[in-house]
Amino acid sequence: MAQNLAELCIVLIENSLGELSAQIFATLAEHGRLTVHTLAEHAKIPLRRVRTGLTNLMEEQLVLHFAAEEGAPTFYSVNWRNAYNLARHTNIAELVNDRHGEHAADMVGNILQLGHARVGDLADAYDLQPASKRDSGIDTTADHMTEEGLVNGIAKTSSAKASHDMSTSEFHSTLRALLRSGVLVKVGTRAYMPPSDLQEQIEEAVIIDQFPDRKVTGPKKQSEFKLAINVLKRKWREDDAYSDLHDVGSRGAIKRPGDHFKTENKRIKVNGGHANGVLHDGEQSTTKLSDDLVVRVDFSRCTMAMRSRRLEQHAKRYLGGVTAAVYGALLQTLEGKVRAVHDDLAPDNSDDEESTLPCSTISEVAEILDPTIDLGASIKGLPGDKTLTNGTNGKKRHDEFGDFGIKRELSDSEDEPTTNGYTGYRDRAKRLSAIEAHLALLEEHARHFCKRTRAHGSNEWRVDFPALNATLIEAELDATILARYGKLALRVVRLLRERGKLEEKQVASCAMMRIKDVRAILTELQFHGILEAQELPKDNARQPSRTLYLWFFDTFRVQHLFLQQTYKGMARTMQRIPVERERYRTVIEKAERTDVKGREQEKLEQPEKQALREWREAEERLLAQVDRMDQMVALLRDFSGKDTSLTT
Amino acid sequence: MATLTKLSGPGDALYTELCKAAQNSIEGLRKVFFQSDIEQLATDTARDKKELLPLVQELVNHSLLRLSKLDRALCWSTRPRDAATAISRLNADEKLVYSYVEDAHQKGIWLRELKKRTNINPNAVTKAMNKLENAHLIKSVKNIRAPAQKTYMLYHLVPSDDVTGGSFFDAGDLDESLIDELSNLIIFHVRMQSWADTKTKRIKRETTPPPLTAADDPDTAGGKKRKRGPTTDIEDSAATTRKYRLSAYDTDDPTIEIITQLALPAYSRAYPSAEAIHSFITTTDAIRASKAAQLTVAEIQNVVDVLVWDDKLEKIGDGYRTVRGIKFRPPGFLGDEEAEDGDKVEGNGLTQVPCGRCPVFELCGEGGPVNAGSCVYWGRWLKEGA
Repeated sequence: MAQNLAELCIVLIENSLGELSAQIFATLAEHGRLTVHTLAEHAKIPLRRVRTGLTNLMEEQLVLHFAAEEGAPTFYSVNWRNAYNLARHTNIAELVNDRHGEHAADMVGNILQLGHARVGDLADAYDLQPASKRDSGIDTTADHMTEEGLVNGIAKTSSAKASHDMSTSEFHSTLRALLRSGVLVKVGTRAYMPPSDLQEQIEEAVIIDQFPDRKVTGPKKQSEFKLAINVLKRKWREDDAYSDLHDVGSRGAIKRPGDHFKTENKRIKVNGGHANGVLHDGEQSTTKLSDDLVVRVDFSRCTMAMRSRRLEQHAKRYLGGVTAAVYGALLQTLEGKVRAVHDDLAPDNSDDEESTLPCSTISEVAEILDPTIDLGASIKGLPGDKTLTNGTNGKKRHDEFGDFGIKRELSDSEDEPTTNGYTGYRDRAKRLSAIEAHLALLEEHARHFCKRTRAHGSNEWRVDFPALNATLIEAELDATILARYGKLALRVVRLLRERGKLEEKQVASCAMMRIKDVRAILTELQFHGILEAQELPKDNARQPSRTLYLWFFDTFRVQHLFLQQTYKGMARTMQRIPVERERYRTVIEKAERTDVKGREQEKLEQPEKQALREWREAEERLLAQVDRMDQMVALLRDFSGKDTSLTT
Repeated sequence: MATLTKLSGPGDALYTELCKAAQNSIEGLRKVFFQSDIEQLATDTARDKKELLPLVQELVNHSLLRLSKLDRALCWSTRPRDAATAISRLNADEKLVYSYVEDAHQKGIWLRELKKRTNINPNAVTKAMNKLENAHLIKSVKNIRAPAQKTYMLYHLVPSDDVTGGSFFDAGDLDESLIDELSNLIIFHVRMQSWADTKTKRIKRETTPPPLTAADDPDTAGGKKRKRGPTTDIEDSAATTRKYRLSAYDTDDPTIEIITQLALPAYSRAYPSAEAIHSFITTTDAIRASKAAQLTVAEIQNVVDVLVWDDKLEKIGDGYRTVRGIKFRPPGFLGDEEAEDGDKVEGNGLTQVPCGRCPVFELCGEGGPVNAGSCVYWGRWLKEGA
C-alpha cells in the first residue's frame, strides 16, 4: 500500500529538508525500524551524515525513536502521518487565517515549519524582528473582519490592533487562543515514541502496578486489564494536554509593562471585545505563558476544522450560502465539544451512539455567526435583517413580499413595524428564530445535515458526523467519477450503490438506457477498477456464456483506490516543480545572484521579468493543486478518524 | 376426434355459469376453478359429484375447459367459445403446441423453448405454429429481453410489460426522446413547487464582465461581497443560481434578469411525490392521451429515480424537490444542453490535474517510460492557465 504514499512523502521531505533527509527517510520507509548503524549501511551514507539527517528529521517529528532501556540501541522508524502532514501546512495556515486572523496564521505557519517550538523561542523570534510583521498587519482589518470564525474575542483584538506591531500581550493571547481552540497543543516527552512502544510501556506499567502476579489472561482479568490501560492512557494524555491552570508561567502576571496593559484593557472594552462574553481578553492578556512550554500544531484538530469547512461547502451546494453559513457556525460550536475526530479512548457504548454526539444550542450558534449575514434573505417568508433595524423599512419589505403572493407564516406576527430603541431583545429573538429556520432546512434535507435533539421544540442541535462523513465521501467519489467518465457513468454508479448487486439487464432497465450503452459503461468502469462483477455460473462448466454477472460498487474499495491515486497525483505534481524550475533555471539563477537580489526591478530585462513571473505562476498553480488534493486526501482518509493506514 | 357430439344442455349451462363467474372475477379468463368451486357453481345442473364428472369431462373434450394442476390439485379454467371450436379442429401436435403457448399466457414463450418442451419434431412444431398463427389463435410478439428470439402468445392477449418493456419502449426500442421530454416535464413541475424565485433587474453595463461569483442575496450583494471576498472560490460558483434570460432581445436589452432561488421554510409543505407527479403528467396535455393512460406510477417512479441519480431531484420527506440551481428547458428550447452541462463539470483536486484523467497513469513512475518530467499533459495544463 505504502508505495505511493512513500513516494509522496519522500518528495515532500526532499522539498522541505533536502536530499539527505529524504534519502534517510526513504531507507527507513523501505526497511522498517533500524538502528543508526544498519541505517547507515542500507542507505550507503557515512554515519556522521546519517546522524545529521536524522536530527533534521527528528526536529520535524518525521522520525520516531525508542530505546527499550538505558544503554540499549535506539531504533528509528518513520512517522507516516507527520511526513504526510508536510503537505497540509498551507491548508492549515489558511484555516487558521480564516478563523483567528493573520497573526495567528503567521504564527502557526512558523510553528509548522519548525515542527514544534518553545514559547520562549517563539517570543524571541517575534520580538527581535517586529518589522517583518508590519506589511502583513496593515490590511488585516479590511480583509478578515467578517470571516466566520472571527467573532470570538481574541481574533477581534488581534485584528483590531493589527495596525501596529504585535505586542507581547497580543502574542501570548493569540497563542492562548490557539491552545484553547486546540489548534496548538503542548508537546510532552512521549510524543516521539512509536505508538506500539508506548502501548507496551503502558501495559508494563499497569502490570507492575496492579497485577503483580503478571497474570492478565482470562475474561475477567482481561477486561480489568484493558480498563486499567485505558485509564492510564487517558491520564497520560491529560498530563500531556495543555491546561490554563498548569501551563501559565510560574512568574505569572508580568508586572513590568503593567501600565501598558491597563490601556490595552480599556481599548479592548471599547472595541466590544468583552461583549462576546466567552473570552475575557482583559484578564487573559495579563497572564503569560511559560517560556518553557513546547507547542506544536495538532493536526487532528485541524482536520476537524477542515471537515467542518467541507461540510459547509457541501451544504452550500444544496441549500445556498446563507444556510451554509449558519451550518458552519453550528459546526464550529460543535468542534469545541468533540475531543478528536475519533477518540479511541471514548467509552465504547455503541448502542447509544446518539447520546455521545455533542450538541449545541441556537444561541451558541448565534454568538459565533457572522452578524452581517442577512439571515432572512434566502428563505421565503422570513423577514430580512433590514426589517429588524428599522420599522418603515420593514413595511416596505412586507409589500414587496405581498407582490409575490407568498404565504408568510413566521413573519406576520413578528414583522410589525417596531419603533427604534427597544429592538435589542426582539432582534435577538428574531435572529434566533431565523437561525432555527435555517437549521430546520438543513435537517429537512435528505442528507440530514443536522438533527434536533429529542423532542420537537427543544433548542439543541447535533450533527451526526459518521453518517455525514459517509455522505461526503460518496459525494467526492461521485464528483471524481463524473469528471472522469461522464454523467451516464455516474448514474450507473449511483444506481448500483443504492440497489446493490444487479445484472446488466436490470441496470439497463433501472437506468433507462439501452443495454448496449450500459454494457460499454460497465466494462469501462470495471477496467478502471470502479465497478466489479461477481460471476454466478449457471452450471458446473462455468462457461462465460452460461454465467450471470452481478455488478456492484464497493465504496470502500473505490475510496481506497482514489486515495492512492491522489497520493500519486500529488507526488507527480510535486515532482513537476523541479522540472518547471529547470526550464527557467537561467533566469532564476540570475535573480538569486547576490548583486541582483533585492534590486530585480532595475537589474532584470523585461523578458526576464516576464519569465520569472511565469515561473512563479506555474509554481503557485502546482502548489495550489497539491493543496486541493490534500483536501481530498483529508476527506477520503482523515475525516472519519478511523483510518489506520498511517499508524506505524 | 374430428367430430364431436354436440354439447349437451347441462354441459352448456355449466359452461355459461363458469364463464360468468370467470368474467366477474378480477382475473378474467385466467380464473381457475377447483373442484369445490365448480361444485358450488353447478348446484343447478348437477346434484352430486357423480353427475358433475361427465359434464366436466365433456367440456374438456370440447376444449371449452382447460385442465391444469395447481398445488397438486386439479383445476380448470375456461376458454372462449370460438377458440374452443378452432382448437377442436386441430390435430394432436397442434393441440400440444397450443396448450404450451396457452400456459405461457402473457409472458409468451420462445420458439426454441417450445420445441424443447413439446419434444416433437421441430419441423412439425414450425408447421403447427404457422397454422395456428394463420388461424389467429396465436401471434408473435417481440420480447424486449431477448429481441432475437421469436416469442409467441395467444392471439387475444395483450403482452405484459415484461415483454414489451413498458411505456418507454416503442416497438421494442427504447424511446429516449420520450424519456427526455418526460424528465424535463417532471423537473419543470417539481421546480415550480420547490423553490421561490425573486427576480431582480440590473442594468447591464457595456464594460462590466458577466457578474462575478455568487452573491447569495442580490440586495446586499454589493456590500457583502467586498467583505466576504476571500471565501468565494471555485466551489462557490457552483451554487450560483443566476440565470440569464435567453432571448433575442438579450443583446439590446439593457437589463439582465437575475433570478435567485429562495428556499421555502422547512416542514411547511409537502413536496410532490411520485404519485402526485404521475397524476400531473397524466392530466396535462403535454403527452399523448393514449401514452399518458399507459404510464404507471412505477414507471414515473423509475424516471424520478433516474433524475435523483443524475442529481436533478432530491428526496425531501416523501416527496421530491429539485436540486438547487437545476433548471428545466423551456418548451421549444433547442440549445445544446449537453455542452452547457459539460462546462459545469469542475471535478475536484484530483481530476483537475492531468494525473486524475491520465490514460497512462498506471505506467507513470520515476525513471519509467512516462514520468513527471516527460509528461506532455503537464505542459499543456500549465500553459492553459497562463
